[in-house]
Amino acid sequence: MAEHHTVTDGKHKASPNAGGSLHGNSRPNVASGGGGKGGLSGGLAQPAGWQSLLSFTILFLAWLAGFSSRLFAVIRFESIIHEFDPWFNYRSTHHLTTNGFYEFLNWFDERSWYPLGRIVGGTVYPGLMVTAGLIHYVLNLLHLTVHIRDVCVFLAPVFSGLTSISTFLLTRELWNQGAGLLAACFIAIVPGYISRSVAGSFDNEGIAIFALQFTYYLWVKSIKTGSVFWSIGCCLSYFYMVSAWGGYVFIINLIPLHVFVLLLMQRYSRRVYIAYSTFYIVGLVLSMQIPFVGFQPIRTSEHMAAAGVFALLQAYAFLQYLKNRLTKQEFQTLFFLGVALAAGVVFLTVIYLTYTGELWTVSYAKIHIPIIASVSEHQPTTWVSFFFDLHILVCTFPAGLWFCIKNVNDERVFVALYAISAVYFAGVMVRLMLTLTPVVCMLSAIAFSSVFEHYLGDDMKRENPPVEDSSDEDDKRNSGNLYDKAGKVRKHVSEQEKAEEGLGPNIKSIVTMLMLMLLMMFAVHCTWVTSNAYSSPSVVLASYNHDGTRNILDDFREAYYWLRQNTDEHARVMSWWDYGYQIAGMANRTTLVDNNTWNNSHIALVGKAMSSNESAAYEIMRSLDVDYVLIIFGGVIGYSGDDINKFLWMVRIAEGEHPKDIRESDYFTPQGEFRVDKAGSPVLLSCLMYKMSYYRFGEMQLDFRTPPGFDRTRNAEIGNKDIKFKHLEEAFTSEHWLVRIYKVKKLDNREPLDHKLRSIVPRPKYTSKKV
Amino acid sequence: MNDASSFRLRLRIDSRELCAAFLCCFCFIAADDGLVNEEVKRTVDLSTHLAKITAEILLSNQGDSAVHSFILAVESDLAPHLAYIGVKGDEEEDGMLELKQTAIQGQSGEFYKVQLPSSLGAGAKLRVKVETVFSHVLRPFPTHITQAERQLVVFQGNHYLFSPYPTRSQTTRVRLASKTVETYTKLGNPSKSDDAIEYGPFRDVAPFSEDTMKVHYENNTPFLTISSITRTIEVSHWGNIAVEETIDLRHTGAFLKGPFSRYDYQRQSDSGISSVKSFKTILPASAQDVYYRDEIGNISTSHLQVLEDSVEVEVRPRFPLFGGWKTHYIIGYNLPSYEYLYTLGDQYALKMRLVDHVYDDQVIDSLTVKLILPEGARNIHVETPYPIDRVPDQLHYTYLDTFGRPVLVASKTNLVEQHIQDIVVHYTFNKILMLQEPLLVVGAFYILFFTVIIYVRLDFSITKDPAAEVRMKVASITEQVLTLVNKRLGLYRHMDEVVNRYKQSRDAGALNSGRKTLEADHRTLTNDISSLQARLKAEGSDLADKVGEVQKLDGQVKELVCRSCQEAERLVAGKVKKEAYIENEKNLASKRLDLVTRIDSLLDTL
Repeated sequence: MAEHHTVTDGKHKASPNAGGSLHGNSRPNVASGGGGKGGLSGGLAQPAGWQSLLSFTILFLAWLAGFSSRLFAVIRFESIIHEFDPWFNYRSTHHLTTNGFYEFLNWFDERSWYPLGRIVGGTVYPGLMVTAGLIHYVLNLLHLTVHIRDVCVFLAPVFSGLTSISTFLLTRELWNQGAGLLAACFIAIVPGYISRSVAGSFDNEGIAIFALQFTYYLWVKSIKTGSVFWSIGCCLSYFYMVSAWGGYVFIINLIPLHVFVLLLMQRYSRRVYIAYSTFYIVGLVLSMQIPFVGFQPIRTSEHMAAAGVFALLQAYAFLQYLKNRLTKQEFQTLFFLGVALAAGVVFLTVIYLTYTGELWTVSYAKIHIPIIASVSEHQPTTWVSFFFDLHILVCTFPAGLWFCIKNVNDERVFVALYAISAVYFAGVMVRLMLTLTPVVCMLSAIAFSSVFEHYLGDDMKRENPPVEDSSDEDDKRNSGNLYDKAGKVRKHVSEQEKAEEGLGPNIKSIVTMLMLMLLMMFAVHCTWVTSNAYSSPSVVLASYNHDGTRNILDDFREAYYWLRQNTDEHARVMSWWDYGYQIAGMANRTTLVDNNTWNNSHIALVGKAMSSNESAAYEIMRSLDVDYVLIIFGGVIGYSGDDINKFLWMVRIAEGEHPKDIRESDYFTPQGEFRVDKAGSPVLLSCLMYKMSYYRFGEMQLDFRTPPGFDRTRNAEIGNKDIKFKHLEEAFTSEHWLVRIYKVKKLDNREPLDHKLRSIVPRPKYTSKKV
Repeated sequence: MNDASSFRLRLRIDSRELCAAFLCCFCFIAADDGLVNEEVKRTVDLSTHLAKITAEILLSNQGDSAVHSFILAVESDLAPHLAYIGVKGDEEEDGMLELKQTAIQGQSGEFYKVQLPSSLGAGAKLRVKVETVFSHVLRPFPTHITQAERQLVVFQGNHYLFSPYPTRSQTTRVRLASKTVETYTKLGNPSKSDDAIEYGPFRDVAPFSEDTMKVHYENNTPFLTISSITRTIEVSHWGNIAVEETIDLRHTGAFLKGPFSRYDYQRQSDSGISSVKSFKTILPASAQDVYYRDEIGNISTSHLQVLEDSVEVEVRPRFPLFGGWKTHYIIGYNLPSYEYLYTLGDQYALKMRLVDHVYDDQVIDSLTVKLILPEGARNIHVETPYPIDRVPDQLHYTYLDTFGRPVLVASKTNLVEQHIQDIVVHYTFNKILMLQEPLLVVGAFYILFFTVIIYVRLDFSITKDPAAEVRMKVASITEQVLTLVNKRLGLYRHMDEVVNRYKQSRDAGALNSGRKTLEADHRTLTNDISSLQARLKAEGSDLADKVGEVQKLDGQVKELVCRSCQEAERLVAGKVKKEAYIENEKNLASKRLDLVTRIDSLLDTL
């Protein structure tokens, strides 16, 4: 394989490098060293062999470390799917493996969004399910009878290894092999990425980061070589990314931005033209093959930048072509004409699009704002979480960025843009920390690698080309250099010491030690964060006693399994949308709303039912054919993520759709507080959610210091202890009261009288006691 | 009478399986035998959710001839629920007697012909113990109760022993689950103590007499029923037997009416008294890696206790089971095969329990056993303790299988604890086949590595790039040049040593021979390098010039070496003074160093 690459690389070495500073190229050792000898020197007898063995081992160890540090949850609990969205992905994958690919694509899920249903095949990114299904299929074809659940649980850790390899490749393209290996190690254990890819977190992001990094690698490769081969590879990788995650929009905006900036920097070359034209056309066609994406790439505003840059690039290339054919005068006239025409066309298009409302599709976001805002991972990122997720890397990556900008070339422009845009997005939304993490790892690796090259070891000096050499040229040559030089150095008869660079060995070793300390602390921090913050399945809770023994609170599964076993197969369960996927996945029952929050009004209706009083709620529930209502109540064990704490979001979302019936202010005390005790607003104390949460809780005394009905989550004695239901009845409550399920009664056969039957008190008979 | 003890017939019969086969086999008049039940002691045990009716019968032959068999009868109302029937002689060491289903004309019910171990002569007497177990005969009444209520059940049976023979004297004792009895039939003015009712004695009961006994009483024992169980036993010749049971469990007592209140359940001990919180499953003592899970993962509410002669799992379903509720779980474990697998050459015998303990007084409505034998097992022969339905064999594929493992599938309905017995499976297996799986793995890795080797060694690119090819050729040639030049420089150092040694030993012969070898080696090396240089030139590389330059410099070095050699000779011969020699030598050495440095720098650029 090595020869193969070198051959391809070598070919393009001959082509003139547009716009790059070439001073390093004039140095004889680089020029002659690039002859592509690296490939031939194989075998362990040669340093190149050792080097590739070392790289291979480091990558393998990085994979292993990444894989094992993601297994905390499996070891502490079990091989189980985590959280909410993964349950849907698991359910779909299960559907895919049992019913086949086409059934999956055409799957209409009548078990969710009752009575609307959901066209699953057309509303998911199928990459994740197809990947897991394919692995499962292949394994079973080889008679490795692995359950699909285990494939799903371990998919993300396995892909984290692939991510570190693709990060290695990308960083090697950008800088050198050493930086690549460092980057691979960083990304393997960095918490920002682990948070989304622990075992059991079967989510799109787990495989998408691999696809992202690999696409970028292939893009850098294709822009360096200008070969259609790499561009097509980039398109295929992009296609995989599109099929896996909505974050593909990041790629389709970043790559055009890169091309645009290259044009601005006068770095246009035929390689850029070939790479981008191929990528745009093939990538566009491929991305439209995903049913969920469909025609969005040619319709929506977030894809327009790519189209615009494509047009611009064509125009630019055309002008370049004309420049060679026309006189200067003709060219100028033509140029102005063209510019005027283009401006006119763009102007008219914008007017048209604005008129039809296609361009600024903000109305969508406007409707969904309460729902979007109610998701915690859509909150802006705090400074703490940058450090928490990236630790030392967040401090060192600007240095790497500076190195890149200082020794700029085509692909380093790319990584700079990548870094800047990712930082911006990560600042906007916690979730997008994920896209920042890989670039931070790469740039930090570059920074560390440069420092180490400078400070670590004298004998390495001759082997590693100085930074100046590697920075200004295509790096493939550097990797070639590494091999060649290494091969030759050994044979020097007389080894000559180069002059010191003015740094004493003490300073060198101190700096090196400090750097190593930092890296060690980073590794410790990563493990600690992974173990404490990101390795909870959240389906199973654990509490620790004073003596260190562990209690498992398995209430969620208890209640879901009760639903699965002891309710009618077609029973409809109403719950807040957070639990929709879990109910569908674990209880296998029909839900009204779930985490795919596509229909706001439906969610608002459920919110309205939860926040109305019982009889009004009964009307809504009857109209929605609800059989059971499921709520989460943490008052007994002090679980803070329960429905009462989420209740205000329900009210807000309901108010958005039904402002006449539900008003958020009604649920606050006159002082503007949200209280569940006696001082709480009467509307709150009589609403369905409150009653369901605290039904019979008023009788319960948790310990002797607190009064009966003391809510541990909100530290208050509840205000309404006498809760009676007319239309509901308690169907199931889990052991720690975490999940409570109520059954919605059917209408009585006869309308009950709302007053007591008149009872005739028989008059006492007066009997004379006459004798 | 005691002759019966000499026969150890331990064949039992089950109610339903033989029904069709033997229904019309024997028809005869019972009274012809002249058998009489002298004395009958019946015990109706209703303390669990099963009805266990045992009868101790003293049979006497009052006919003229000896009899070899007698008939047992089961009432037609109860017959469909009969799970188990067994007959034993009264002696402790007596085995079970052989049973065969039969029919009697003009009578409804089920009849079993019991083969006596030895004939019963005229006037002789025999004591036998008949044990029957009925499932699902205790009917909850009322059928729906709330959480606070207690469970009441009704049992309907027969006051008398249902028998084709006249009975001289009979008592019936009914054991209940609790003191609370709503009603019971009062035939013959029975006496009632704490939790038992004593009927009789009844005298001279006619054959086939039936009189409905009805008891309505409180019974809060768990009414658990295994509605279906699939037991999979996978035998591996690598020392392991994996057992997995998939169990559907249902509470078949009175249905829960109205709400389930966790508060009451937690605070009041008698709330939901008939519900099932947990039960104990006893696994074999050598069971390891026990797991207890369902579709959505581990059931974390269980405990495992390893006892001396068994492993006890406290199975606690995720939620308490109330009337009408059901659950589903999987329990599995591994066993070492040496305890269950016997072998003689290629012959293997597996002896395992057909069905194992799930909970005390278990009722299994439907059992499916799957026995997965190793790949390549042939001549499979099964011995079951009681008749069981065999379904056609299947194939099962798991790790490293190529042509599949044979799977024996068998099923049976209505089983109780008495059915926990061993099944024996004989098969032959060629031991060579044990090597198949490791070889498969080795082969796979071999192919993988081989492919990688092939791929790395060969060039699969579809285009040929002549420039790159030339470059690669040049590279390989320069590589060789480098090696040769280095070797040549090594020769000089070697020569230096020779000269030094000569200076000490003054052995001219050694010096001359050293010089000769140097000359010879040097010539070959130089020739090689020249030929390589020619090849470089042929490739059109400018490196050829550099190699030429190296050659030229090397010539000078060679000269210097020769001169230092001559100097040494002259010194030894005394032609020069030592000081002059040292001066000269230093001069030469510095020149040489200079030349070597130049060669190095040239090599660097190669």
